Amino acid sequence: MPNEFHNQLITLLPRLRVQALALTRNRAAAEDLVQDAVANALAAQDSFTPGTNFAAWMHRILRNRFISTLRKQRDTTDIEDLPAGAFAVGATHEDRLVLKELGRAVNRLPVDQREALFMVVLQGMSYEDVASATGCAVGTAKSRVFRARRQLQAWLMGEDRAAARAPETRTAERRTTRIEEADALA
Amino acid sequence: MPGAANGMDQNRDRRTPATPAARASQPSPEPAADPFGLWLQARLHQLYDGVTREPIPPELLRLIEEDRHRRGG
Repeated sequence: MPNEFHNQLITLLPRLRVQALALTRNRAAAEDLVQDAVANALAAQDSFTPGTNFAAWMHRILRNRFISTLRKQRDTTDIEDLPAGAFAVGATHEDRLVLKELGRAVNRLPVDQREALFMVVLQGMSYEDVASATGCAVGTAKSRVFRARRQLQAWLMGEDRAAARAPETRTAERRTTRIEEADALA
Repeated sequence: MPGAANGMDQNRDRRTPATPAARASQPSPEPAADPFGLWLQARLHQLYDGVTREPIPPELLRLIEEDRHRRGG
């Protein structure tokens, strides 16, 4: 059993890093979060029931660790990173502009919506698994993904382009919001 | 799009909105397979799939392997 547990954990690491980025929006913080979550998972591995959904179990640990860290570090500097894909060398200039705009818009989403969106669209998780990992109803998981997509479409189609392009002007507002994010996720 | 998004193909659906002007003509985001949904899925993969391909920090792997050995795995 230990072998299987550790193998599953290693296999899941790349996806955990993306999900940590969804939560933190910061590369360094995401790396720290994954490291802490892995340590927690190793300590709690006896509580995992083999044959049940390991990814959902591990995502729960990751988000719980994120909530815990957020509550302890309320004055942490809030520096957001755009994903490296926004600077892809092979992309055209227009592609990079679009990707940067999308990256900024994604970072603006409420954390619960961004989390659910990443789980479904990037991780390929079912709504049932998202609900299990985030401790909400399946309908709530669907609603979060729907609202995230609708909001992104609104921003990217021009309804709120100025706001989407200038997130740095709302740093103070964002910090306040992030302090409240732990409560939004809990 | 549960169960349909595991691929890492960054070039999916490049025909869907590439410019704000083009995007403005797209319909609402539901149902899941609408053009904006497909475009969003492809672009999010383009943005974040690189993260999944980055090497895992050695100290993280060491942490897991040490625990494995400690437990006799």
